[in-house]
Amino acid sequence: MEKPGKTVVLLGNEAIARGAIEAGVRVVAAYPGTPSSEVPITLSRMAGKCGFYFEYSSNEKVAFETAAGAAWSGVRALTAMKHFGLNVASDSVSPVAYVGVEGGFVIVVADDPGGWSSAQSEQDTRYYARMMKLPMIEPCSPQECLDLTKLAFDISEEFGIPVFLRTTTKVSHSIGTVKLGKVKKPKSKGRFVKDLSKYYNIRPDLQKLHMQVDAKLEKIEKKYGMKLSKAFGGNGNIGIIASGVSFEYAQEIHRMLGISPPTAKLMLTYPLPKNFLRRFIKGKKAVLVLEELEPVVENEVRMLAKEANSKLKIYGKDILPSYGEFNVETLMPAFEKVFRKKSGIDFAAHRKKADISVRGLPPRKPVMCSGCPHRSTFYAVKKVFGKDTVFAGDIGCYVLGIYEPFNMQDFIISMGASLGIAHGISRVSEQEIVAFVGDSTFFHAAMPALANLRYNDDRTPLVVVMDNSVTAMTGHQPNPGTGITGMGGKAPPIKIEDVAKAMGAEVRIANSFSQKQLEDALKGLKCMKGLRVLISRGECRLVTKKKLEGKGMEFTKYEIDQSKCVKCGICTDKFACPAITELRNKANKQPMYVMNQEMCWGCSVCMQICPYGAIKPKRKEVE
Amino acid sequence: MMFNVMLTGVGGEGVLTVGAIIAQAAHDQGFFVRGLQLHGLAQRGGTIPTFVRFGKEKDIHSPGITQADADLILAFEPLEAARATYFAHRKKTAFIINDWPHIPVYANLLDLPYPEISDIVKRVKPFAKEVMVFNAHKFALEKFGVPILGNIMMLGYALGTKALPLKEESVIAAIDKLVHHKPAENLAAFKIGLEMGTGRR
Repeated sequence: MEKPGKTVVLLGNEAIARGAIEAGVRVVAAYPGTPSSEVPITLSRMAGKCGFYFEYSSNEKVAFETAAGAAWSGVRALTAMKHFGLNVASDSVSPVAYVGVEGGFVIVVADDPGGWSSAQSEQDTRYYARMMKLPMIEPCSPQECLDLTKLAFDISEEFGIPVFLRTTTKVSHSIGTVKLGKVKKPKSKGRFVKDLSKYYNIRPDLQKLHMQVDAKLEKIEKKYGMKLSKAFGGNGNIGIIASGVSFEYAQEIHRMLGISPPTAKLMLTYPLPKNFLRRFIKGKKAVLVLEELEPVVENEVRMLAKEANSKLKIYGKDILPSYGEFNVETLMPAFEKVFRKKSGIDFAAHRKKADISVRGLPPRKPVMCSGCPHRSTFYAVKKVFGKDTVFAGDIGCYVLGIYEPFNMQDFIISMGASLGIAHGISRVSEQEIVAFVGDSTFFHAAMPALANLRYNDDRTPLVVVMDNSVTAMTGHQPNPGTGITGMGGKAPPIKIEDVAKAMGAEVRIANSFSQKQLEDALKGLKCMKGLRVLISRGECRLVTKKKLEGKGMEFTKYEIDQSKCVKCGICTDKFACPAITELRNKANKQPMYVMNQEMCWGCSVCMQICPYGAIKPKRKEVE
Repeated sequence: MMFNVMLTGVGGEGVLTVGAIIAQAAHDQGFFVRGLQLHGLAQRGGTIPTFVRFGKEKDIHSPGITQADADLILAFEPLEAARATYFAHRKKTAFIINDWPHIPVYANLLDLPYPEISDIVKRVKPFAKEVMVFNAHKFALEKFGVPILGNIMMLGYALGTKALPLKEESVIAAIDKLVHHKPAENLAAFKIGLEMGTGRR
């Protein structure tokens, strides 16, 4: 543990974790979701050393409830999730907001404008703060991630209300110099105190609680509105209002344009500091509101301006996009327009030149790793079911099945949604349907959908559980099927087959790395009726790789026997393992298939699918 | 003083680590550090750019690098060097390209042939003050039997050529702090790169 006063380089998410530790957090519960993942990853490593409890809960709702229960018992608690995670948790968030908390409770939510690690939507969590009636604090840099996490705990405890700490991708995943503070020792014990006057959220007391939470928000605005806002004096009657990473871009642009306009930086974005903003817009001719995604601050500034400065010209989403991320390039034209200044940089021309420079080059989309069990499963399913089957997609590494050559995620909606949507299709369509779901996603949200299939669907889609026994995409966190807890202890894993059987499913289990087992199981299930579940079980190859390296061992490598290879291209065109490359002879244009030895992770599936027996293990070494 | 480094390569192949070493070394020399590490989907074999900026605190705000503003682009894979031209400018950017192609499956699937290194250099040149091609992974394979050590060799090369204005001892200290897997080999690889870079100068 680094010493207070020392400066270090931290990722935004690591700085949030450090802030929680400095604040004396006692319980942390989370379900991993990028861009928030490194908050729990960091805290899971520190839990034992720092004397707090950490768990990876089965989903965000359970994680939220776990942390809420701890906060009700008087200790400091934190949960962290990505924006969609809050959709899952939201059912419990609103009532807890009304009831309030004893110990400080911080809910970290990371939004993902641009969709760097979220396929599904660009939802803006700031609306949740308003709907749930919870204060929201937004840092712009790793230093603020640390400082504001600590402050969020204090505010939460002072007013007895959970506090949102909202980041975006470019805050969570940005690095920066951070000065560390003192670490507070967490409270060792908590105790839940029965008190119906507080927890009685049934009418008529419900309205009382509603009034109470409104009063808390008002007090927070009064006490912290000014403290969590910063006005940077500058010249002119045109001002900037910014929060989060947009503030950082604004400063960069000020330097580039040689301007120093009066700038209002907001760190408390709900409730907005009305007095501060009124004062800021008074006497100004115009303001430019900088916020990624929806015009949340802008709309509230418009309302304030009606009274405070009705002539104020407000620039915002009229000249800036409400989709994607901001950066200096997207913001510069707005600054140039509002401040009537030219940067002298022709961004469009440079972009065009750069675009031309990459013309004709092959793209590099993300791919399933060499030896990925999912690739093998997709291959077998396509072989048995054909490409016209409806392939219901879900959330996990297997989303990568959306790309060529598999194209086997016809839609990707939310955790566990493959089963529900497949069910809806099966009610009205004769099409054959396969619903894919991963092990972590199964425990997270697919179990209720499986129960529903069993109970309400007599012509159920085939459910394929892609079980690599770990939450792989977000960084190999354990889940209830893994057998390890978030603090590194052991726990008996829950077997997915036991759950599926208990719900009345016909279950087959196949080794993901055996095409024969997969095909046999799939063919068997294809002709059956009722609820059918195939569990394709194979360890994530990255986990296997790490285990082998730990023992100083290597994968058995495979190679292509050129004398037997008939250049059919199945291993590259249909299986698309990144370790196999098709090279073209420049002279006669003949293809040649080669195995990149460094990248072969020895799954042997290419050997199994080669119809000509041209792929063989290189050395006989036991894995 | 402000220095912008872009590191680019293929997700999961150690680009993040080299970025972290540069950030740590710059910090230890008293610079204010900002940057970006994009985690997520791209880590599964996609293009993964990382940015590290260091200099005076008052000058550096944005975590990412703006168009045409990179001082140094360390491309751990040739194709990704071409894709980095957006951040490069002929008046300021030095490219160091590791000539160790990682052919994406899409070259074959979409029938877009992987270019020769000469083609890559041709594409990059109009955006570069200097282009240095260095087959780090090949040297690492010959010397250590492990191509991935070429990453650290590239870092040494960048220092040796003075394309990266950091001190040798601070980078060595950062490697010592951040690299836990095969530290001795990493240090040796760094020194080989450093020597080759110095030789080029």
